[in-house]
Amino acid sequence: MEIAYALEHPVKLKLNLHVQGFTVLLGESGVGKTSLLKALAGLIPATGQPFAGLRAEERPVGYLPQHFALFPHLRAWQNVAFPLAYLPSEARKRKALEYLEQMGIAELAERYPKQMSGGQQQRVALARALAREPQILLLDEPTSALDMATREEVFGGVLEQLKALKIPTLVATHDQWLAQRANWVAVLTKAGLAQQGTSEEVFARPSTLEVARLVGFRNFWPGRVVEVNGAWLQVQTSMGLLTAPSPDWAKVGEEVWLGIRSEEVFSLDGPHNRVRGEVWHLRSQGLRVRGLFKVGEVALDFLLPRYKQAQLGLAEGQRLEVALEPHFLHLMRS
Amino acid sequence: MDDPVFWRTMRLTLEVSLVTTAILLLLGVPLGWVLAHKRFPGKRVLESIVLLPLTLPPTVLGFYLLLLLGQNGPIAQTFGFTWAFRFEGLVVGSVLFSLPFALNGYREAFRSLDLDLIQTARTLGAGWRRVWLEVILPITWPGILSGSILAFAHTLGEFGVVLMVGGSIPGKTQMVSIYIYDQVQALQFGRAAEASAVLLAVSFVLVYLVRTLEDVWRSRMPSSTR
Repeated sequence: MEIAYALEHPVKLKLNLHVQGFTVLLGESGVGKTSLLKALAGLIPATGQPFAGLRAEERPVGYLPQHFALFPHLRAWQNVAFPLAYLPSEARKRKALEYLEQMGIAELAERYPKQMSGGQQQRVALARALAREPQILLLDEPTSALDMATREEVFGGVLEQLKALKIPTLVATHDQWLAQRANWVAVLTKAGLAQQGTSEEVFARPSTLEVARLVGFRNFWPGRVVEVNGAWLQVQTSMGLLTAPSPDWAKVGEEVWLGIRSEEVFSLDGPHNRVRGEVWHLRSQGLRVRGLFKVGEVALDFLLPRYKQAQLGLAEGQRLEVALEPHFLHLMRS
Repeated sequence: MDDPVFWRTMRLTLEVSLVTTAILLLLGVPLGWVLAHKRFPGKRVLESIVLLPLTLPPTVLGFYLLLLLGQNGPIAQTFGFTWAFRFEGLVVGSVLFSLPFALNGYREAFRSLDLDLIQTARTLGAGWRRVWLEVILPITWPGILSGSILAFAHTLGEFGVVLMVGGSIPGKTQMVSIYIYDQVQALQFGRAAEASAVLLAVSFVLVYLVRTLEDVWRSRMPSSTR
């Protein structure tokens, strides 16, 4: 499904968006993700296709706000039956129960929202949205009301079901975990849509610094392209000359930014890009170790599994030489 | 209790209170919604006007109503009827005087309603009629009812406004609180005591109901998901 929408209020936003399978609209809060979903649902004024000129109650969308918005005075099945008002009452209940069954929570039919966990409420809300027979599902921050610790367990199943449904789904989130599992990722920034592509593409090759930050890059430092040689190029940086994959836009003399993920700073030991630096500010993060690796003026943030730290025997103040694996370096336009 | 005037007075008081409450419901629910959820220029002025009876001396409100509804008032001159010293005058005065009580209840009920529920209901195909009948009212009724009961109880014990607008004609425009005052003036303490006891009992029951409704209402608000 292709979406071309323009909003004036509460944020000014104009974008063309491709929705394919489970599509994540990734962005920080305040860039207008929620507003776009609401505009698509017909809840705030906007111009564009699809659904132009239709009122909210006429649009074939399944809209799920952040806190699911189950009607507190209705039982689970009554919530699901809400959009089925056109059916006679017996068929209405039967149909509602079918949708609950589909979401795997038939046994919760008689419960009130208060008597259910967040994950269960979410499934009821999804069953209710599906009962609308939507052409598109709109999910606003579906993982934010769930416990971080059990998110994968709770939402993982829902995610598989949603993907199996074959209904285009647009999910507004700042959750990288969710974006990594999407069929398609669109990155929204204050300036508008910054990049869209498969999640592999966006996570491995963010097009700008802002996108890179959103998909989890923490390390950036500037450089200048000095040589392009087919698939590889050489960049002069304050760490010295580094080899990196060559994007198609790169030219000799161009000012660029280099990026590397924290997990990949100490990843492989190879012959290329060897740099000397000093380990600083080691701290444990759960079962992993985070720290800074200072190379000249650049402090690279790194994150290692603890076995790797044990292997390397890292300690604060230690000086060592590592290789920044060329495959893991990523070039962005300055 | 052997005074037939007392029972007629009590009946009139209940009638005025009931009609007032019904009118407040029709008037106050939309107004409460607008004050809770709409933004418009002059909103603060409107809020101040409807809350004014809280601070205005009842006799002042009654005096202006008397001027407005009396024989030489603008309403009489334009439309040719006078509501002063009649049942209708009592109701108009009571509606204005009890409006803030009803409105506070309605507005709080609507304010605490999660607007996501309404928006989601619309995306599920419900027009405004269904949204009101199946979402807003079923969720907010305890708040609406408690506001109405407060307004009812407030009207029941009204004195200044109804004295000014109604004139306290026994059996016609005399409300029960004025009846009690008149009995005391006539040194009929027994009758005053009986009437007071009835009002006390009724008021207690009503306030008890309001408290119960507040608890019902609080238990319905899905605090766990907010």
